[in-house]
Amino acid sequence: MNRRRLRVVMVKEWLVLSRDLNSLFTVTILPVLVVAQAIALVWLVERFAGDSLAASPLFQSALEKLRSGLPQAAALGLTDQIRIHLLSQLNFYLLLIPIVVSMSFSTFSVVDEKLSGSLEALLATPVRTSELLLGKAMAGWMPALLVTWVCSGLTLAAVALLGWGHLVSLVVTPTWVVCFFLLAPAIALLAFLLGIIGSSRARDAKSAQNLALLIVLPVLGLIALQLTGVVALGLWGTLAVAGIVALVDCLVLRAAVRLFRREAIVLSWR
Amino acid sequence: MSADPVVQACGLTRRFGERTAVDNVDLTVRSGEILGVLGPNGAGKTTTIRMLAGIIAPSAGHAVVAGVRADRDPEALHERIGLLTETPGFYDRLSALANLRFFASLYSGNLEVERQAARYLQLMGLWQRRDDRVGTFSKGMKQRLALVRALVHEPDVLFLDEPTAGLDPEAALEVRAIIADLSRQGRSILLCTHLLAEAEELCHRISVLSTRLLAAGTPEELRRRLFRRLTVVTLADDGALPGNVAAALNLLPWVRSVVVEEGDLTVEFRDPEITASCLVQAVIDAGGRITSVSE
Repeated sequence: MNRRRLRVVMVKEWLVLSRDLNSLFTVTILPVLVVAQAIALVWLVERFAGDSLAASPLFQSALEKLRSGLPQAAALGLTDQIRIHLLSQLNFYLLLIPIVVSMSFSTFSVVDEKLSGSLEALLATPVRTSELLLGKAMAGWMPALLVTWVCSGLTLAAVALLGWGHLVSLVVTPTWVVCFFLLAPAIALLAFLLGIIGSSRARDAKSAQNLALLIVLPVLGLIALQLTGVVALGLWGTLAVAGIVALVDCLVLRAAVRLFRREAIVLSWR
Repeated sequence: MSADPVVQACGLTRRFGERTAVDNVDLTVRSGEILGVLGPNGAGKTTTIRMLAGIIAPSAGHAVVAGVRADRDPEALHERIGLLTETPGFYDRLSALANLRFFASLYSGNLEVERQAARYLQLMGLWQRRDDRVGTFSKGMKQRLALVRALVHEPDVLFLDEPTAGLDPEAALEVRAIIADLSRQGRSILLCTHLLAEAEELCHRISVLSTRLLAAGTPEELRRRLFRRLTVVTLADDGALPGNVAAALNLLPWVRSVVVEEGDLTVEFRDPEITASCLVQAVIDAGGRITSVSE
C-alpha cells in the first residue's frame, strides 16, 4: 500500500466533491436539517403529546427500562424522564447521517468515474485497486464521521439551548459514546461499501443510491423499535450491534473488493 | 529507430465466454516506431490494447512491454506506459491542471509534476486554458489533454486507441500532427485505428487485425499486397493491334498483367505509385491509339 497514492486519491475525491453542489448539500446542509428535525420532534412530542405518551402502557414500560438502566433518572420528574427517553433515541436517529453522507459519497464518486470514462485511464496508472478503493472509502468515511460527530455536538448544544442542559449528562451515556465512536464508523463503512456495490450495478448515481438505500431500512426499524420501547439497546446491546455491523463490514468489504477488480470494471461497468 | 522491440506480443488471445475477441495475435513494436493496428470496429483493437496495457488478462499468449510481462506486474508496467483511451475521460469539474496533477502524482520516481504538466500543456497548446474546468473543453481539446496525460510521466511506450475517433476534421488533423511530432521525437507508439489513411500517414508499419492478424508490413507493402489497381485502356481501331500493345506493356516492370478483351486492355499495376499518364505514354510508345482511359 503506497500512502502517497492513497493521499493523492483522497485529495482528488475531496476536490471533486467540493465542486459538486449536490454532494456539498448532502454533506453539509442535510445533516444539519436532520438534527434540527430531530430536536424539533423531541420538543413537539414532549410539549404536546407528553401526557398521552406517559399514559401509554408501552411507553410506561419504556420509562421503566430507562429508570432501571439509568438510576439517576428515577430522581427526576416524569417530564424530564420523557425528555431523556426521547433524547436517548436520537443517537440511533443520528446514525442516518453517516449512512446518507457515506452513501452519497461512494455512489457519486464511483458512478461519476463510470460516466466520465476516467476509470479506465485511472486503471492504466500504477495505482493499485486496493489503494483506489481505500482512498475513495477514506475520502467518504472521514467527512461522514466528522459530520456525524459535529451533529451530535450540535444536538447537545440544542438540548442546552432548550433549557434542558441539566439532562445532557444523562443523555451522554456510555451507550451514546459507543453509538457515535464505534457503531457510527462501522455503519458509515457499511454504507460506503454498499454504495460501491450499488454503483457497480447501476447506470447512474440515483439508481445506485436507490439500491444502497436499502441499508436505511434496518436502521429505521431499529429507531422505531427503540422509540416504542419494544427494544431498548443499552451499552451491551449497542456494543453487540456495533460488533455485528463490523463483521458485516468485513464480508461486504470482500464482496466490494471482488467487484472492484480492474477487469470487471473495464468490461462490465457500462 | 532501433530494431530493439519495446512491445512483443506472442499468441495473444482473449475469449469472452464463447466469443473470441482476439485470436493468436503476434505483434512487435520496435523502439522509436509507430505500429498501426488497423481494423474495423469490433476487430479486437481495444481488447488488444487493454491486454498490452495490463488492464485485462489474455486468455492465452503473453506480451512483454518495456521489459515487463504485461500480465505479471501491472504496477511496474503502468509506470512505463502511457495510454490514450478511446474515450478521453476526465474529472469534468476539475481544471486541466488539477486533472494532470492528480494523474501525474500517481506515478513514482522523482517526477516534477508541475514542470512536466506545464511543458506538455504548452506543447499541446492548452497552457492558456490550464485553469479552466475540463467540462468546458471541446472534444479535440480533451483529446489533446488526454495525450498530455499519457505523456506527462515520460513513458517508454504510448498506446493510442482511436486517437481521432469522433473528432472534426480540423481537430483530427491537429491530433495527427501531434502524433507525428511525437514519432519524430523517437517515441515508440502503438496506434489503433480503423482509418486506413490515418495508418498510412502516421505509421511505419501496419498490422491488419480482424480478430486474427490478417496482414502486416509497411504501408507500401500492404498497399501492394492488399489493394489491386486496375486501369482500362480502350484502343482506337486505326492503331496497333491490342495484342501487340499488350505484349509491349507486359514487358514493363511496373505492369503485373494485361487482359485483352476486344479493343479494351485491362492493366493491373505492380507498383500502385505509377500514374495513368505513364501508362498512356507506354501505350502510345507501343503504337496504340487511345480513345479512353478509366480506373
